Amino acid sequence: MGRILILNGSPRAPKSNSKQYAEIFIKKCPAETKYFNITKTNHAEICDSIKLVSDLLLVFPLYADSLPVTLLEFLKYLEKHHPKNKPTVSVLVNCGFIEPQQNDTAVKMIRLFCSKNGYPFGSVLKIGSGEAILSTPFRILVCAKIKKLVYSVIKKRYLTLSVTMPISKNMFIRASTVYWENYGKRNGITKEQMETMKIEDF
Amino acid sequence: MKLILSDKHINILLQKNSDIELIDLSKCKISNCIGCFGCWTKTPGKCVIRDDAVKIYPKIAASDKIIYVSKIAYGGYDSVMKAMLERAIPVQQAFIRLLDGETHHLQRSVAEKTAVIIGYGNIPDEEQDIFRELISRNAKNMNFKNYRIVFTTEDKLEQSVEKEVLKWEEY
Ligand SMILES: Cc1cc2nc3c(=O)[nH]c(=O)nc-3n(C[C@H](O)[C@H](O)[C@H](O)COP(=O)(O)O)c2cc1C
Repeated sequence: MGRILILNGSPRAPKSNSKQYAEIFIKKCPAETKYFNITKTNHAEICDSIKLVSDLLLVFPLYADSLPVTLLEFLKYLEKHHPKNKPTVSVLVNCGFIEPQQNDTAVKMIRLFCSKNGYPFGSVLKIGSGEAILSTPFRILVCAKIKKLVYSVIKKRYLTLSVTMPISKNMFIRASTVYWENYGKRNGITKEQMETMKIEDF
Repeated sequence: MKLILSDKHINILLQKNSDIELIDLSKCKISNCIGCFGCWTKTPGKCVIRDDAVKIYPKIAASDKIIYVSKIAYGGYDSVMKAMLERAIPVQQAFIRLLDGETHHLQRSVAEKTAVIIGYGNIPDEEQDIFRELISRNAKNMNFKNYRIVFTTEDKLEQSVEKEVLKWEEY
């Protein structure tokens, strides 16, 4: 069994959903794992660790339909500092909207990075409703899919998987409205204030 | 309002009294979005990071004609433009609606846009396809009524931008 390096590309990595997804992966993984939050200053340190692994798992949120700048910057660095033995790259991406396929473009970008730079491409798990799903009973669906992802990576039988809340879109919209309303409430902000049409003071 | 948002300096002459504003993002201080959702849940419509981005996203919102000029990286916007687009989420609300059968955020006061996206660099076909797909997704989140994508090389960039601006000035 090889070693797996897990990189969290969320700009809020220490408090991110991606961190929780990565933790589930680590818990279920019988192989040795190493985990990093990508920061502006640790690209070189991460590249040192990449040399030592057979697999790389990129865990990140969808940002404006694509890769967060945090991850993009790291990939640009890696492109200039390739390890001799390139690991297989797998992806665990989550987005706020319910449709896991909204992550497809971001996955294609990682595939392109891999094919351009000679990294074998591995498995994918696309999570929809990823902002909130872990705090719902549907968490077990996510855990089951992450377990599948783990075994696809360690057995090198790579798969493309997806998971989301198994509810209708209208129900998702209602649930997400309550989720965000409560988020505002915790900051002392009402729904009406959150609905302001003003941007800055315009 | 008409806006040109560019990730590098471009030397083009704009007609006097034109209502076109050109912003060179490479000269602006725009730090990365930290994903705090403060712009939705703490100070709605305002980013908590008070750098140059807070002057730019209201202009993006107000523009009905807009040209984005960006280098392409892995089929997406390169970092300078991408950082700005991530910092522009205060123009949306946290709340979600259905749009073309998909879930998307409600917009605040954002003008419907005719957008031209000029992607520059040496961009192979496969990468162009990914960028096209990205823009078709962005169109839903960024309130594009219609859009056109232009691919060009860095040395022909100014000509490409000028051509698009001329089209604006003709109408
Ligand atoms: C700047 C920004 C842009 C985002 N863009 C999208 C998007 O285009 N589509 C989407 O479904 N979710 C989008 N989201 C939501 C995140 O993907 C979602 O909240 C995710 O769970 C965050 O994961 P993290 O905690 O690991 O960072 C965006 C969030 C932010 C802050």
